[in-house]
Amino acid sequence: MSILPLDDNMTQEPTRRARLVVGPADAASITETVCAITERPRPPAAWYAAFAMSAAATGMLFAAIGYLIATGVGVLGNNSPVFWAWPIVNFVFWIGIGHAGTLISAILFLFRQRWRTGINRFAEAMTVFAVACAGIFPAVHVGRVWVVYWLAPYPNQMGVWPNFRSPLLWDVVAISTYGTVSVLFWYLGMIPDLATLRDRAISWWRRIVYGLFALGWRGSAAQWHRFEWAYLLLAALATPLVLSVHSVVSFDFAVSQLPGWHSTIFPPYFVAGAIFSGCAMVVTLAVPARSLFGLKSLITMRHLDNMNRLILGTSLLVAYAYLIELFMAWYGGNQYEAFAQLNRALGPYAWAYWLMVACNVLAPQLFWFPKCRTTPWLMWVIAVLVNVGMWLERFVIIVASLGRDFLPSSWGMFRPTAVDVMMLAGSFGLFCTLFLLFCRYLPMVAMAEVKGVVPPHLGSNGVQ
Amino acid sequence: MLQPEHHHDDSPPVVGILAEFDGPVTLKAAATGLRQVGYAKFEAYSPYPVHGLYEVMGRKRTTLPRLVLAGGITGCLVALLLQWWTNAIDYPYWISGKPLFSLPANIPITFELLILLGALAAFGGVMVFCNLPQLYHPIFGCVKFRQSSTDTFFLAVDADDPRFDETATADLLRSLGAESSELYRQPRTVKRIPGMIPATAALVAALALLPPLWIAQVRYARKTSPRIHPILDMDFQPKYLPQQYSPLFKDTRDMRPRVAGAVSVDAIIGHVHLLRGEVDSPPADTFPMPVTSEMMLRGRRRYDIFCTTCHGLAGDGDGITSQLAFEREEPKWVKPLSLHDQPVLGQPVGQLYQTITHGIRTMPSYRSQIPVEDRWAIVLYVRALQRSRNATMDDVPGELKKHLKSIEQSDAGIPNAKP
Amino acid sequence: MPEYPTPNLDNDQVRLVGLPRGTSGVLMLIGLVALAIAVALGWRRDDQLRAFSASYLVNYTFFLSIALGALFFVALQHLVRAGWSVTVRRSAEILATGVVYLAVLFLPILAIMLLGWTSPYFKWLDPQTIADSHLAREKLVYLNLPFFTVRAVFYFLVWGLLARFFFKQSTSQDTSGDPMLTRHMEKAAPVAMILFGLTITFASFDWLMSLEPAWFSTIFGVYFFAGAVVGALAALILLALALQAGGVVRRAITVEHYHDLGKLLLGFVVFWGYIAFSQYMLVWYANIPEETVWYLARQTGPWTWVSVGLLFGHLLIPFLGLLPRVVKRRKMLLGVWATWMLVAHWVDIYWLVMPTFAPRHLPFGLLDICCLAAVGCMFFAGVIRTARRCALIPLKDPRLGESLTFENF
Repeated sequence: MSILPLDDNMTQEPTRRARLVVGPADAASITETVCAITERPRPPAAWYAAFAMSAAATGMLFAAIGYLIATGVGVLGNNSPVFWAWPIVNFVFWIGIGHAGTLISAILFLFRQRWRTGINRFAEAMTVFAVACAGIFPAVHVGRVWVVYWLAPYPNQMGVWPNFRSPLLWDVVAISTYGTVSVLFWYLGMIPDLATLRDRAISWWRRIVYGLFALGWRGSAAQWHRFEWAYLLLAALATPLVLSVHSVVSFDFAVSQLPGWHSTIFPPYFVAGAIFSGCAMVVTLAVPARSLFGLKSLITMRHLDNMNRLILGTSLLVAYAYLIELFMAWYGGNQYEAFAQLNRALGPYAWAYWLMVACNVLAPQLFWFPKCRTTPWLMWVIAVLVNVGMWLERFVIIVASLGRDFLPSSWGMFRPTAVDVMMLAGSFGLFCTLFLLFCRYLPMVAMAEVKGVVPPHLGSNGVQ
Repeated sequence: MLQPEHHHDDSPPVVGILAEFDGPVTLKAAATGLRQVGYAKFEAYSPYPVHGLYEVMGRKRTTLPRLVLAGGITGCLVALLLQWWTNAIDYPYWISGKPLFSLPANIPITFELLILLGALAAFGGVMVFCNLPQLYHPIFGCVKFRQSSTDTFFLAVDADDPRFDETATADLLRSLGAESSELYRQPRTVKRIPGMIPATAALVAALALLPPLWIAQVRYARKTSPRIHPILDMDFQPKYLPQQYSPLFKDTRDMRPRVAGAVSVDAIIGHVHLLRGEVDSPPADTFPMPVTSEMMLRGRRRYDIFCTTCHGLAGDGDGITSQLAFEREEPKWVKPLSLHDQPVLGQPVGQLYQTITHGIRTMPSYRSQIPVEDRWAIVLYVRALQRSRNATMDDVPGELKKHLKSIEQSDAGIPNAKP
Repeated sequence: MPEYPTPNLDNDQVRLVGLPRGTSGVLMLIGLVALAIAVALGWRRDDQLRAFSASYLVNYTFFLSIALGALFFVALQHLVRAGWSVTVRRSAEILATGVVYLAVLFLPILAIMLLGWTSPYFKWLDPQTIADSHLAREKLVYLNLPFFTVRAVFYFLVWGLLARFFFKQSTSQDTSGDPMLTRHMEKAAPVAMILFGLTITFASFDWLMSLEPAWFSTIFGVYFFAGAVVGALAALILLALALQAGGVVRRAITVEHYHDLGKLLLGFVVFWGYIAFSQYMLVWYANIPEETVWYLARQTGPWTWVSVGLLFGHLLIPFLGLLPRVVKRRKMLLGVWATWMLVAHWVDIYWLVMPTFAPRHLPFGLLDICCLAAVGCMFFAGVIRTARRCALIPLKDPRLGESLTFENF
């Protein structure tokens, strides 16, 4: 029996399972590592720099939204024939990003993948923030945003009800359900960790604030029993939910008769793409966050390796969908469908299409090589490329199909305006702002869960 | 064993004993031991869930799964009921040829609500079952207990337990592997919430009920003035009214003069009979084109599209718009005239044509929506509708007459209205 | 400390004993007799072997899907380095090797197509259909007999090689105990998955979707895959029950394995429902005639009831049935639901194939039972032959201990 060094958990030997936490970790040291981030008087200088930048971008976002609401949707590039343009691309992009959190916290939980404990908390946080970013776009581009409550089914003096047979209303229901359940799931999992922060608090206001949010959690056996059941049940509900949400988003397109949109593979294809982009965003954030906040023992190289394998796998699923769409466009014999696919590859948006293929299909293939899966800067670059690629994918689907429909006389090009670009950049600012605040004030790693997979009776190095 | 609680000095009453253990294994063993001895009121605390601990304490499995199932089923039923009642019953409208209650299109929302209510049941259930939020508990009084959320394991035996004894229980716990134990008590001073706060809260809650009550009152009260509505977009529209200022033009008038060389539509001399429905100035009594069955069919289709909403399918003035307006007691609504009564019945076709073209009273002009030929076709169909109410047996063609007679004799109810 | 607990199987019987010596031969014989009866029953003067062809395709696809689902199961376990499934993995490996025998059983289909012993097997072989349908004509580049045959050979080559590879590596570990063999299989798993995904997709296009040459659906491959995994999981559960009932692997397969297999079955029942709904909803909603025609055939006459039956029998009822924890942990109950799912899966395949051949009635009868018996007996004759040659669990798998001791939450 060979004993591996404590800080290496990259073993591929089938005779043993790798450590989930490296270094001499026990319950006390895990608590210390995670809580210290929020307890130190000042965050690292890099945090301030990042926060200043992202807060500025957030300001820009709200300025753009204010201008948009005050002036009207004409300030966006949406125009005939591409009415569903930039905002919907951003919306689908952000919703997709929001899928990795639930994948990691719910689906991997059901599959007993215990390595998820290292990254599930901040993946969930990322989900909540991404859904918040996503929600902005359809809301502000409806036109008269102040009557957006008309989407809700309430008895009104107009005597009308929303049309529940419309995919756009499914979208409203699916996204708000997803947002609600994600927040509940995130918060429920965080309660025991908030109690830890409360119990360690030295200052009065920390004790009060964390105490309020910890709801008086005591960690009794009865509470843990119910907590675990609730967590399992929420995971079991969130798993089909996460599949349904991006499926419903895909229905927005696929129930139409527009070539390039109407394809039966859209629901699973969109879900795979969403998880793909979400995992890439997890890596994009995890690589800097783990080194900035000293979490390398909890978010280990093996975690990143696993995430990169997931990216590779979902990249292949997305590639499968591209391939089947192309094949069917040829096999199906429908000239409009064939044209739509050819137009993507050879038409005026060919640059976006080929960039998308390069980012989504080719770049992740580097992850076949173990070296690429374990080199932080390289995986970061690939993950960013995947994010770019997945944004372009939605751009290609939405803009290229709308710009070239059945009637050549109604063809047109889409050109984004400055407000469009400002809103996209600003949404990244909002996302990063929320994420930075989360890193600073909330437990970034699910301490209670990690402690559970590093049982002290198995020795301090937590192998199982 | 059973002893009355001692009040040495003036310490507050004891709530229980808190014993510390070094790990989940000893904790579980001690809980098993306590239960074997016969203790029932004790609780175990750990920084992370310890599997099997709850079971060895002899507690019942939570009913949370059943609650979630109930939540899910409720969500499912609520969604189906909502979609059915709103889209098929209360406000039915046809969308892309789908049935009013079309299950495939109703599934996504049904599914989402199933999940939403299931998740809310799970979260609400765990809060209720765990007694959360419960911001204060006597055990928080132990300084040591703060370690329980980091890495320390505790057993707390309640003083309420019939077997509880300050020394004997402590000894038992030590024999079960406790590293240390201590009594914990009620807090010496209990800070009470000042009475003003709940009173204010109750007042605010009561006041908060007023706006919805007011809204309900306004919504259901019968008034002759227009209803109150919060969004005034339709009242103050960004548009130009006659005789107003406009910065867009040099002369700052929003009404534009005729473009030089433009010819008024009224000035077009054309087929007077066809375009104006006139023959020598009084309304024409004849159609300007030959009447055919195609024209009749065309007229029927156009009528069904443009006229039925107000005049009704048979021309009785009972179209859906009118019905809704009456149902909702619209103060300004006037019932459209029935096409089967005077004065419409006696009007020449040219006048009917002019009514469609120019509108009359509250009926708007349809000249921009309906082309000239179609207007005449509609007039023809209206004539047919009128005739159908005032027809005699002589108007019926020969073979149909026989059919009608046979129906009359067999008295089989309403005859099938076959053209 | 980092190693797994040592496996403890205490005299558990891990070899296929109890079946008489000549079982394979007898099954083979029964299969051949059933085939002969089926041919006789399916022969019609006017369209020769058409009825037989349809029924044979249904039952052939049924067993093929089970073998392919099992192959997917094996590759998946290696892809994710699963520990729990070790003791049930060998059954899947053996089922997957059955694809080699199924390659032989594909020959009747090819023979009927090549020799033209029926009015066309696939409509795209029919000159009249080609002449009438523009869309069918467009597809002749892909749908023609030589290319069809080449593709079929390629699919079987891939499946056969993959199934043999996993089986060979795994059984050789039984003797050598070399943990690196596990590593080899793990490294091969992603490649196997890619090949599997592409071949099962295009095989389902070729053999099921092209029955209606004008119709197409991009999700069809995923739909067939979902059904195949449901069938394979149900078959694995029943196989484990049968083996244990016969006094084999009684200790190696525990209630936890049944629980996990039951969870996976439940998961794939829902996944099938999700894929089936996605396809139906999008076709129904967009309402494009060239797509709705396929569902129209399945919503006409008695086929309506088969469709409704699938909705309830393949999704809603088994979903509720498999949901309670207790069902997955009681052998009898789980066995009932596995049988149910296997029947539902057969009906699913029947529903995919038959409306093309019999649009107005449900041609279920002795012919189908004979075809089922024919393919089933010959398939299992081969599978049993393979099973006799090896242990029924991977005896020296490095994760055997983990598989024997894990517990569900």
